[in-house]
Amino acid sequence: MDDKTKVLEREQLDIESLRESEVDLRLPAVVPREPYPIETLAPDARQQTRAVGQRATRPDGRLHGLGQTRYIDDLSFPGMLHARIKRAGIASARIKSIDTSAAESMPGVMAVLTGKEIPTNSFGPSFQDQPVLVDDLVFHAGDGVAAVAAVTEQIANEALAKIVVEYEPLPAVLDPVAAMREDSPKVHAPDSNIYATKVIRKGDIEKGFAESDHIFEGRFSTQMIEHVSLEPHAAIADWDANGRLTVWATIGRITLARSDMARTLKLPMSRIRIIGTIVGGNFGGKNEITQEPALALLSKKTGRPVKGVFTRGEEFTSTTTRHPIVMDYKSGVANDGRIIARQIRLVLDGGAYCSWSETTLGKACILAPGPYKIDNVVAEAFVVYTNKTMTGAMRGFGAPQVCFAYESHMDDIAKALGKDPLEIRLLNAFDEGSPSPTGQVLHSVVVKESLRKAADRFGWEPRS
Amino acid sequence: MKRRGRGIACMWYPIGFTVSANPSAATVKVNEDGTATVLTGTVETGQGSLTVLGQIAAEALGIATDDVHVVSADTDTTPMDTGAIASRTTYVTGNAIWLAAEAAKAILFEAAAPILGVKVSQLEAKDRKIQVKNFPQRNVSIGEVAHRSQAVLGQPAIGSASWNPPTVAMDPDTGQGKPFATYVYATQIAEVDVDDETGEVEVLRIAAAHDCGTAINPMLVEGQVEGGISMGVGMALQEEMLFDADGRHINPNLTNYIMPTSLDMPEITVDIVQDFDPTGPFGAKGVGEPTAVPTAAAILNAIHDAVGVRVTSLPATSEKVLAAIKASRAVEQKQIPA
Repeated sequence: MDDKTKVLEREQLDIESLRESEVDLRLPAVVPREPYPIETLAPDARQQTRAVGQRATRPDGRLHGLGQTRYIDDLSFPGMLHARIKRAGIASARIKSIDTSAAESMPGVMAVLTGKEIPTNSFGPSFQDQPVLVDDLVFHAGDGVAAVAAVTEQIANEALAKIVVEYEPLPAVLDPVAAMREDSPKVHAPDSNIYATKVIRKGDIEKGFAESDHIFEGRFSTQMIEHVSLEPHAAIADWDANGRLTVWATIGRITLARSDMARTLKLPMSRIRIIGTIVGGNFGGKNEITQEPALALLSKKTGRPVKGVFTRGEEFTSTTTRHPIVMDYKSGVANDGRIIARQIRLVLDGGAYCSWSETTLGKACILAPGPYKIDNVVAEAFVVYTNKTMTGAMRGFGAPQVCFAYESHMDDIAKALGKDPLEIRLLNAFDEGSPSPTGQVLHSVVVKESLRKAADRFGWEPRS
Repeated sequence: MKRRGRGIACMWYPIGFTVSANPSAATVKVNEDGTATVLTGTVETGQGSLTVLGQIAAEALGIATDDVHVVSADTDTTPMDTGAIASRTTYVTGNAIWLAAEAAKAILFEAAAPILGVKVSQLEAKDRKIQVKNFPQRNVSIGEVAHRSQAVLGQPAIGSASWNPPTVAMDPDTGQGKPFATYVYATQIAEVDVDDETGEVEVLRIAAAHDCGTAINPMLVEGQVEGGISMGVGMALQEEMLFDADGRHINPNLTNYIMPTSLDMPEITVDIVQDFDPTGPFGAKGVGEPTAVPTAAAILNAIHDAVGVRVTSLPATSEKVLAAIKASRAVEQKQIPA
């Protein structure tokens, strides 16, 4: 009986609360006015006068926490249009025709742009091999073929579906090792698919192997990875009546962005202003322009500010990624665990465009022998075009890949020789003043200190 | 059955560009009340660089972090900077800001020397004051000096400077040269559980010991290390862009491209290795990228330690680990003598 009463009571309460919420729903939603404290609640660390070494909080942290930081997608200007880019969806092809007439005649569509309208349709930090929008050949499925500016993002999306592109499919090159062969189809014909190489030679590798007690070999490979920043690539371009261009962009390198914009748009630098907004994650993925020249030209065509925000899908298919690398290691080791000689060959999948591949190639090659004293080294690295999403800068520039290889290889050596993994590293690691594989005398070297500190913290004990 | 393993990986990583020039320029303006404004062309991309750069300017001027406001990332108003790349911001931009602050400070010292009746070389900036070295009781507040310098002497305390890391070109045939001005070093040790029936790997804890020269802001260094490890976990076990036979990306979404979440994160301990680089601002080098470098290697070595199989291609998905375990058992069974 009691239980039944309770149930009835509860139902009554539920009904009451529903009524209350109905009342609430009828009222306009007004956020209670809680004025933010005028004074910043500055913790002591920000007030210390030995500023270095202090655990000072970030001035932007407060704004992030209160939702007051304005990322690109929070910015809006009167009359602003929204841009979307049509993606090829085919890895390798010749464009036979692009028909934008149906899209252009849609109500709400203000302008359509194709690659042929871009004054200098190529950019890139090392080689200028990347078009803003492809005009003749498609080099990977994420390539942009046309851009639309419309009054809403929805209309822009609908317009993309009405753009008709006719392709003549071409053979796609997907495997970087196969792409190195002479008879492979060329991604950027007539150039070789191998577009940059690096070599490091130190000592006498053959003599080193001959003097070694053991030879170890291994092949390691890594995958393609996307940065997946929380904030996608986004920008707003405003081409004003004086012919001056202002771009708000999620770019970590505004100086390079301005020179890339000046090149692609054939504008003097004094007429371009790049404002780097607070960037919601970079990790190497926002070190160069992407859609900005297209947004600028759409703004020029329409006389209105134009915003473009990549979808998560475009972040994967149409921005740079981490290089997959195939890594061959061969090491000559003495009985006591000392590495006498090491030979390395790296093949980097460069994707459709160079981007930061040349830099990644160089760093991967230099770092590939590991932080170890090795007198005889040969490291060769190749970066190869394929018809895949372009690879570029990503946190570590090839170092996480080669570290995976040289440290896996090191443990294989340790196991074969019955050595403790910590001990064999301490035996081989750089000291202050050790020469690097490129012959550089190293200073401020604390690799052994880091090994001991991590081992202490972890509680690493040698196993018998 | 779950099998536990441990794996170690150490690394080295350079700060700044490979040989090529990657300069930074900066301007430091000391206001009439002794606070300061820094102009830099670098961009805050979430790592806290503007906080660290403000701390460097504050340290050079003898004022607090909160006294410095950093203006960044506008090609019309801020000096050129190579940008937020190559773990270079603290080291290269930091050096430029340090030099610019020193130039502004020199103007303040010129104004303060007659007030305190000593030579410029006898002055130091500390605790928001300009004081005589070894005689801190003889001092004048930095605000008073800045005001006097600007409003009485007509010399506003503004300093500009640039810096570029010194390198030596690499020989094209042998690669010999000095491609980078400095390097950082680090070790991470991972402990994992591997389920030998499913191949599933759980990373339990990672002990990370990172060198960054002087830690300008230890809290932000710890944040970088923890963030880098999350990327390393994804690289080791989960993340992979997959393409079909025609070269189309087949998992361009976060449903099928699996990122580590907080549930995948191990317990992390961060140690900052004591180091001082005389070429960096107040001994600092950098820390951004290296934090993501040794994680995957340490986890893969821990998997090897746990179940005795060497996965040689990343990511070490459950399927791949299980296949390797089965393959190694097949070999073991064949080796049993009849």
